[in-house]
Amino acid sequence: MSWSDPLIVMTYRELKRFIRAKSRLIGSIINPLIWAIFFGLGWSSAFNFPQAKMIFGGFDYMTYLTPGIVMMTIFTASFISGVTVLWDKQFGFLKEVLVAPTPREPAIIGRSLGGSLTALFQGLIVLAVLAPMISNIRLFGVIPVILIGLLVGLSFSAVGITLATKMTSMEGFHIISSFIMMPTIFLSGAFYPISTMPEWMKILAYANPLTYGVDLARHYLLGTGDLGVVTDFLVLVALTVVTLTVASTVFRNASIE
Amino acid sequence: MNYTVIADNLVKKFGDIVAVNGVTFKVKRSEIFGFLGPNGAGKTTTIHILSTLLKPTSGEALVDGKNVVKEPANVRKVIGIVFQDPSVDDQLTAYENLYIHGRIYGLKGKELEERIDEALKFIDLYGFKNKQVRTFSGGMRRRLEIARALIHEPKVLFLDEPTLGLDPQTRAKIWDYIRMIRREKNVTIFLTTHYMDEAEELADRIAIIDHGKIIAEGPPDELRSLAGNEVIYIKFENINGKNIPCEDDNFIEECKVLGQDSIMLKVRKASEVLPIIFEKFNSRGYKIGKIEYKRPTLNDAFLYLTGKEIREEEGNDLERLRTIVRRRWR
Ligand SMILES: Nc1ncnc2c1ncn2[C@@H]1O[C@H](COP(=O)(O)OP(=O)(O)OP(=O)(O)O)[C@@H](O)[C@H]1O
Ligand SMILES: [Mg+2]
Repeated sequence: MSWSDPLIVMTYRELKRFIRAKSRLIGSIINPLIWAIFFGLGWSSAFNFPQAKMIFGGFDYMTYLTPGIVMMTIFTASFISGVTVLWDKQFGFLKEVLVAPTPREPAIIGRSLGGSLTALFQGLIVLAVLAPMISNIRLFGVIPVILIGLLVGLSFSAVGITLATKMTSMEGFHIISSFIMMPTIFLSGAFYPISTMPEWMKILAYANPLTYGVDLARHYLLGTGDLGVVTDFLVLVALTVVTLTVASTVFRNASIE
Repeated sequence: MNYTVIADNLVKKFGDIVAVNGVTFKVKRSEIFGFLGPNGAGKTTTIHILSTLLKPTSGEALVDGKNVVKEPANVRKVIGIVFQDPSVDDQLTAYENLYIHGRIYGLKGKELEERIDEALKFIDLYGFKNKQVRTFSGGMRRRLEIARALIHEPKVLFLDEPTLGLDPQTRAKIWDYIRMIRREKNVTIFLTTHYMDEAEELADRIAIIDHGKIIAEGPPDELRSLAGNEVIYIKFENINGKNIPCEDDNFIEECKVLGQDSIMLKVRKASEVLPIIFEKFNSRGYKIGKIEYKRPTLNDAFLYLTGKEIREEEGNDLERLRTIVRRRWR
């Protein structure tokens, strides 16, 4: 059987479900906006002196934070969309896919792609709301950011899918959300530069895949960053390939036992 | 080939639990085969093995001539299934659920659209085509699942407790659809249930399963007679002191005179001997005023075979649904 049919239709399903769940959309946009505005604007005035701006690549804090917040939005939304495989497990849709004659890899890649597209959409809305509040955004940077957002979204929805396929309970979901999501965000350089972190934290930050997405977004939207663009892209592409491969393998061997 | 499903000594263990313990049966093409058994008997596990979702610990099974372990992809193409637990996506519409299903099975374009309309009309949900499933009643969801299982025109349809937890009217309606499927579509139906009446109403042949083992198999009539004889009561008219005829024939197991004008006969199969009895009494000038007969039920047969009853009360179903819900959120 073809690969394109299951891929397209699982993407379609994610998009349809996204359109239906408006509250999910509002929730996932409000949260990063609250961070950006209260945390960002608050610190922005506190950091309003030249030495501080040096730390933030010559920008005021709010501006520095914005690319990080956009990536945080995409990360959170795509990860959670992957984790909703748990719900499919609970409510039987998973069995419906497992019993079908379709190859499972494209089905799960399609689901990832759907999760990635909806996450990207949310990230772009957040960007659109924040852009007028800051001055130095490079508008053409939005085009590479779309690609970066897609890769970040694909990777983390794949991670979410992998975990959810392996997990058996709802508690697992809550544990994961606190033990994985928050640290990943704080250790990504979204809120503060990696260069000023303590050494041990730097190591964790370099090991964190989200770091490379945040750095790229900052490069393209502001023209500043901690790492090289080429390194960032190589890591991000490798990450996408690896996470999708792992998710496909786990899902191919998924059973209801 | 005459058999669409062949199970040969299937065993499935979950750790220490033996869910299916050496199950062997054959399902004929185009028949409705009922798998009747109480809670935890191994019905769902058997369906999961036959539909390639679980690998048997040992034993073999063929569906439409294809081995469920060695060629699962070929088996999946020819089966449709309605799971015991609901499996429609209730955030999507009826149409979207069927559309996704069709695409996963390799259908598309105009053909898929036509099949979706046809399936929705068949199951009387066409008017709800673009309604979200979360607004549907339990019965409607069940029907949608049946429609979905038919979209790709399977050769074998598995129905796992299709009327579990539904009210009597809705159950009767679902039975009508199942009969209609059998009449109009060229499909073999494998149905599990713990409702006696459901198995009797629908199945051509029934296998009774308990503790992972088949303990009896055959047409409903045959299984019923396991529990013993059928009983015929005859009341004569205008007997006027005549001798009440009560002699043993070879097809009569026992005959007893009841009061002035009635007799009771125990026979193996009332449906076969009733015409003979009519003939006989008529030719001898006896006028039959009233005739009644009682057959043992499947419940009697189950009781006879296992020493316990299959519980059928509503309360237990509700309790069971509740446990399912609890289990889900655990
Ligand atoms: N995944 C599993 N892990 C462990 N035990 C299981 C699993 N699935 C089923 N069992 C056990 O196997 C036995 C048979 O279960 P099965 O679901 O096949 O029964 P059933 O006849 O369908 O019952 P029900 O009427 O409750 O649906 C039960 O004792 C059940 O607890
Ligand atoms: Mg069951």
